[in-house]
Amino acid sequence: MTHDTIVIGAGLAGLTAGLRLADEGQRVLVIAEGIGSTHLAPATIDVLGFYDGEVESPAEAFPRFADAHPAHPYARLSAELIAASIEWFKARFPVFGYRGGLDKNFLLPTALGTAKPSSVVPETMAQGDLSAGGRFVFVGLGLKDFYPAYLAENLGHVALAGSTVSARAAELAPPLGAEADVGSLGFARRFEQRAFREAVVRELASRVEPDERVGFPSVLGVRNVGEVWRELEARLERPVFEVATLPPSVTGIRLFEAMTAALRQAGGRIAIGSPVVGAETGNGRVEGVVAQAAARPTPYRARSFVLASGGVAAGGIHVDSYGKIREAVFDLALAGLPAANGRPPFLPTYLEEQPLDRVGVPVDDRLRPVGADGRPRYENLYAAGATLAGAVPWQEASGNGLSLATGYAAAAAILERAS
Amino acid sequence: MASLETEVLVIGGGSTGAGVVRDAAMRGLKTVLVERRDLADGTTGRYHGLLHSGGRYAVKDQEAARECVVENAILRRIASDCIEDTGGLFVCTPWDDAAFGDDFVEGCRATGVPVEEIAAAEARRREPRLHPEISRAFTVPDAALDPWKLVWSCARSAQEHGAQILLYHRVVELERNGQRVSGAVVHNELTGEEVQIHADVVVNAAGAWAPEIAQLAGCRVAVVPGKGIMIAMNHRLVHTVLNRCKLPADGDILVPIRTVCIIGTTDMRVVHPDELEVTQPEVDQMLDEGEKLVPGFRESRALRVWIGARPLFSPEEVAETREVSRSHALLDHRERDGVEGFVTITGGKTTTFRLMAEATVDAVCAQLGVERPCRTHEEPMPGSEGGHFYELGSRLRALEPVPESEQIICECELITRRRLEDAMARRRTANLDDLRRTLRLGMGPCQGGFCIYRATGILHAVEQLDHRAANAALLSFLQERWKGVHPILYGDQLRQARLDDWIFQGLLGVQHLPA
Repeated sequence: MTHDTIVIGAGLAGLTAGLRLADEGQRVLVIAEGIGSTHLAPATIDVLGFYDGEVESPAEAFPRFADAHPAHPYARLSAELIAASIEWFKARFPVFGYRGGLDKNFLLPTALGTAKPSSVVPETMAQGDLSAGGRFVFVGLGLKDFYPAYLAENLGHVALAGSTVSARAAELAPPLGAEADVGSLGFARRFEQRAFREAVVRELASRVEPDERVGFPSVLGVRNVGEVWRELEARLERPVFEVATLPPSVTGIRLFEAMTAALRQAGGRIAIGSPVVGAETGNGRVEGVVAQAAARPTPYRARSFVLASGGVAAGGIHVDSYGKIREAVFDLALAGLPAANGRPPFLPTYLEEQPLDRVGVPVDDRLRPVGADGRPRYENLYAAGATLAGAVPWQEASGNGLSLATGYAAAAAILERAS
Repeated sequence: MASLETEVLVIGGGSTGAGVVRDAAMRGLKTVLVERRDLADGTTGRYHGLLHSGGRYAVKDQEAARECVVENAILRRIASDCIEDTGGLFVCTPWDDAAFGDDFVEGCRATGVPVEEIAAAEARRREPRLHPEISRAFTVPDAALDPWKLVWSCARSAQEHGAQILLYHRVVELERNGQRVSGAVVHNELTGEEVQIHADVVVNAAGAWAPEIAQLAGCRVAVVPGKGIMIAMNHRLVHTVLNRCKLPADGDILVPIRTVCIIGTTDMRVVHPDELEVTQPEVDQMLDEGEKLVPGFRESRALRVWIGARPLFSPEEVAETREVSRSHALLDHRERDGVEGFVTITGGKTTTFRLMAEATVDAVCAQLGVERPCRTHEEPMPGSEGGHFYELGSRLRALEPVPESEQIICECELITRRRLEDAMARRRTANLDDLRRTLRLGMGPCQGGFCIYRATGILHAVEQLDHRAANAALLSFLQERWKGVHPILYGDQLRQARLDDWIFQGLLGVQHLPA
């Protein structure tokens, strides 16, 4: 069977591209080695959080940022397109009640008690916004991935422009039976049970002050998005919000489930557990990719391809022990490489920008990977997400914003070419 | 200034100092040990963990081999809980001269190293990842020795015998009273306070740092630091200690220890033991040598790299010392420099640390004019009374009966919350690296990626640290970790490091912590 488009990678970039195309009637296959970064990162859409300090308004910062970073994926996209990707996303998944936009970042507390700018956030996280100051209480459940007293103490010392935050912790001892080592997903499933929620509300209700907003680790149910959160808000009669915790990310899992369900509903196919190991190319085109599925290499053919296999973390870009750096599927040209050969000369201070941080696939304005001559290597191959060169998303707070916008833009380029 | 009175003051908390403080305390001497950082933070904690059978020295240095034979047997008796009885193999790879095997066997026979030649096929059956073209293989009683556990066991034993251990106490001054060293001024690195310690005899067990201590007493000790690189590989590529059957050289030992295996090492003289840098050629040398023992070594995941500074004393020094063995040096400064009450013990290796301590305390007793026999070879150390060696699966076995009854904070090394909290309460340290050495916290594949945020939160609660101290602990752990991983980042460990960047910088925002 020939597909219209094959998307390699099932993170936010790949799923966005796949869903956009399936929505437009294309026969889409999303093929991936494993589940993508959705299970590692929160479902907030961070577009641009840090550039020359904290970014208040990504829309205002864009022109300056793109000028300063001509090799950055954002420099390939128009502000209108980034805005359109966000509007599409918010409208496509109303169940999450995403709030915000490019004009003003939310400032959300991290599990460590620092403030993180984020443009578009699910409604279950929005009340954590620190930018207007206020009083917050953070609820501990005994989850080993969440330390509210430490969080609250740091948050009380975070410098915020023009507002003050007071924060404290409330430790609960919810009923866990004999199981002491309950993880984020385990708590999320327990919150879906009425008795567990009741126990939490009973223990907490008398301990929150009238003007406090109540922060939980992001474990408020994994199915029926928003239900647990709404019930807690109603029962506690306070604004309630979730704080992103260590992987596995429950908010990210919700997003993955919603996106893959939507993709299937739109007629798309998803094959997880099928690493793409090579490609069939000719005449400047990609004819097919070869996936290592079911113990033997299987070719898949399509008219267009989107490479969204991620960067170094996901394995889309591989570095061997001799320091040879390679894009794993198409052996594409890379940008952002260290000057010298051999293993990358990392700098001795951890928090410095490191030599390999911006490595990735360079693309043209249609997100087609280009060679050293600046021309597209294959006319029908597009790249999106962390595969792209030029960004340091974990420092810029730009991860999901980049994935959403470039996944959306790759789909737009494919649709434009098809019409 | 606070002051202490003691008979013996031991300077240095590596295996040598820990051995000396235990030996002296067991002989009934009032003893204090001071260490500028944490126990086994120097060379001892930076070695590959090989309990030598003596095989490595059987041809080149037979006296050292004989010492290893004796001490190996003693440590198996008194420190069994610090030892995994992996056994050892010497193998002739295609890069080695098979005829050396005959010299090796002869050397082992001459020095008492129990040796047996086995068929190459049998060696490969025991160690399937071994190079398929090895021509000869010999078994010896090498084993894995956990250096942190060893030093802590010694320290605990010494404390049970009345000794006092002062960590993070740096010697800033040795007091000279005429021709006699009469004590030291030590600086508490954590509180900034100074303590005066009066002692009848001061033992300089500072290893590669011995020259600096000796200089404080006006004595010259010519110890040159020899740097040795080691790389811990994820997983146990082998379950037996592997040695190349040839004269000792670089990168010819692979030691399975705990959850990892460690390749080592090199030997290169450097100027100062605090200034050691991993170079890329050294890393490549280890990886290439590893490939000769275990093909595919370069595709395996390297977890961490570090360098130890061996104390090597120069030959002219040997000539003028009361030499116990070529392998270590005991300098009695009374005879050597006319300085009373001061003894330096340096050189040597962890396998023979007990013997070194015995010789040292003999010299201390001679200076004190007392005659008390050494008993350290007779009495097992705390935890080793049962005579059981530890095993790879011992932590898992302890947790298995009641799964999920306890929170596991470090999944890689199976450290439970209770165990971590106990260690925090016991050690009262605001340094996560101290806990790493004590428990192996964060030593596994993710190098603290998941457990260190948790451990910081728990540290903040258990020790009631303020946010500044907790943040400093977290940031300092991340920096120390980076130091140990950045020279070997490639393949899957680079992926892991990048995931950790996402967690610490992207998700938690450590770079934005309040100053």
